[in-house]
Amino acid sequence: MKCSDVERVLSELVDGASDGTLPIDVEAHVKSCPDCSDLVSDLKLIASEARQLAATEEPAPRVWVRIAAELRAEGLIVDSATRDSASVRPVVVSVSVPASPRWRWSAFWLAPVAAAVLAAGAYVISHKPAPQVAKQQAPPSVVTSPAQVTPAPQVASLPAAPQQVAKNSARPAGGNVNGTGNENGNSKRPAVEAAVEPEPSAEDQQFLSVVSTLGPSTRATYENQLKAVNADIQETQAYVDRNPRDVDARQHLMDAYQQKALLYQIALDRIQ
Amino acid sequence: MASLRRVIVHRANIQNTAVVTLVLATCLSSSAFAESKKEYRFTVGPNAIISVDTQYGSISVKPGSGDQVLVTATLQSDNVEVDQQQNGDRIEIASHLLQGASEQTGRVDYEVLIPPDATLNLHSSTGPLSAEGLRGDLTLEGADAVVNVHNVENGHVHVRTMRGPITLTDVRNGHVEIASISGDIHLKSVTGPLVQASSGRGKIFYNGDFGSGGDYKFTTHTGDIEAVAPADVSADFRAHSVLGRVHADFPLQAKHSRFPVEAGRSFVGTTGKAASEVVLRSFSGKIRLKQR
Repeated sequence: MKCSDVERVLSELVDGASDGTLPIDVEAHVKSCPDCSDLVSDLKLIASEARQLAATEEPAPRVWVRIAAELRAEGLIVDSATRDSASVRPVVVSVSVPASPRWRWSAFWLAPVAAAVLAAGAYVISHKPAPQVAKQQAPPSVVTSPAQVTPAPQVASLPAAPQQVAKNSARPAGGNVNGTGNENGNSKRPAVEAAVEPEPSAEDQQFLSVVSTLGPSTRATYENQLKAVNADIQETQAYVDRNPRDVDARQHLMDAYQQKALLYQIALDRIQ
Repeated sequence: MASLRRVIVHRANIQNTAVVTLVLATCLSSSAFAESKKEYRFTVGPNAIISVDTQYGSISVKPGSGDQVLVTATLQSDNVEVDQQQNGDRIEIASHLLQGASEQTGRVDYEVLIPPDATLNLHSSTGPLSAEGLRGDLTLEGADAVVNVHNVENGHVHVRTMRGPITLTDVRNGHVEIASISGDIHLKSVTGPLVQASSGRGKIFYNGDFGSGGDYKFTTHTGDIEAVAPADVSADFRAHSVLGRVHADFPLQAKHSRFPVEAGRSFVGTTGKAASEVVLRSFSGKIRLKQR
C-alpha cells in the first residue's frame, strides 16, 4: 500500500463515507510509515478540536459554499454527485492531491482563511454602520445584518459570516467597545480595553493547532504574534466604533487585518 | 578486606563505563552533526530566476561573474539534504529536512553568486538573509530572519518578515515594498518611484533624500516612525498619528490640504519643488521628521 492510497482512505474517513475505523492494511501501513502516522495524528487532533467548537462560532453555510467554490475553481477539490455543496468543510475537503506533501495536505486551508480574514476586515470597515445606528436598530443578541441598516442590494447579498469572523477575531468576549474611550482620541487608552484580551476565534484556534506541530517554541511565538495582532485589531475597532468618521483610523483597521493575513501567510509558508 | 576490594572494583567498573559512554556519545554526536559542504554550478541566460528556500539557515547572495550561478551549501548534519533543479533559466535550490531534523541539525547555510540581473527569491524562516550588488527583482521572506539588502538598483525589492528586522541601504530606483508584523525597518539612502514600508509593532527609520519623484509611504500601528532628510529635500509631506504625537523639525511650507490637520497629531507641508510625496502614518506610534 502506498501513502497516496492511505490519503484516499483517510479522505473518505473524514468525509464520513466510512464508519471511522481504518482498514487493516491501512492500519499496518500507518504503523510503519512515520509520515502517514503523523497525518493520522493531525487529522485526529483537528477532528477533536473541531468537535469542541461551539455551533455558534461556525460560519454560515454559504461561507463554506463560497470557499468550496474557490477551491473547486483552483482544482483542489472535486465534485461528488452525492454530496450536498453545503456540507463541504474546508479542513476535511475531499482533497485529491496525492502527490503533495503531508503539511500542504493538512494546512492548505490557511490560504482561504487568510483571505477570509482580510475580506472580513474590508467588509467590517466598509460596511459597519455608526454605533448609534446599530444600537437603535439591532437587538443585542442578534447579529446585525447589514441589510437592516443599509438597504443597498449589494450589501444585502454579502455573506454574514465575515462579520462574525471579524467579531470572533477582534473583539473581546462581552467587552464593551462602545463609548468607553475619549472622543478626542486621547492617547491614554481606556483601562477596559487594555485589560480585556481578545478571545481566540475558531480560525485562530485552528491556526494554532496546525502551527503547534512545528514545536512548542514556534507555537508560542506565533501565539504571541497572533495575540498582538488581535489586540491591535481590537484596539483600532474600538476607536473606529467611537469615531466612525475617522477615515484614517478605518484604514489602520484595514492595515491591522492585513497584518493578521500576513501572519497566516508566513505560517503557511513555513508549514509548506 | 574482600568487601573493600569489591567496592574498588565496582567503582572502577563504573568509571570505565562512564568513559566508554562518553566516548561513544561524543562519536555519535560528532557524526550526527557532521558538517559538510556542497557546491552546485549552473549556467544561465540573461534575466534568470533563482530561488533558494531553506527552513533553517542563512542565505547570502552576491553578484558573480558572467552567466554562472554558484551555490555553496554548508549542511550541518546528514538530517538535511539539498534539492536542486534547473529548468532553462530557472534554478530552484531547496533544503529538504529528513526525519528527525531539528533547527540545529536541519540548518543549511547558503552562499550564492549569481548574475547581477537575475531575479532572486529567498526564503528562510530563521535567516539571516542578505543580498547585495544586484540589479534584478528581489523577494526575501522569513519569519524570524534578519534581512539585509545593500547596494541594489532598478528592481523590485519585496521583503516580508514576522519579527525579523529589515535593513535596506543604498537602494536606487527601486520599487520597494516591505511588510513586517513586529520587525523594525531601517531604510538608508533608499529611493525610487515607490517605497512602501509597513510594520505593525516595529519601528520605521528612514534616512535619505526621498529621491526626485516617488511615492514614499510608511505605516505602523504602534511603532514609531522617524524620517531624517537633508535640508534641500524636495517633497510633499503628510504625517498623521491617530493616537500618537507628531513632530516636524523641518521648515515646511504650509499648503492647503483636504486632510484635516490637528496640531500635535498631524502635519502637512512642502519643501523644495515637492518632487516626491511622503506619507507617514501611525495609529498610536510617534512620528518625527528631522532635518539632517
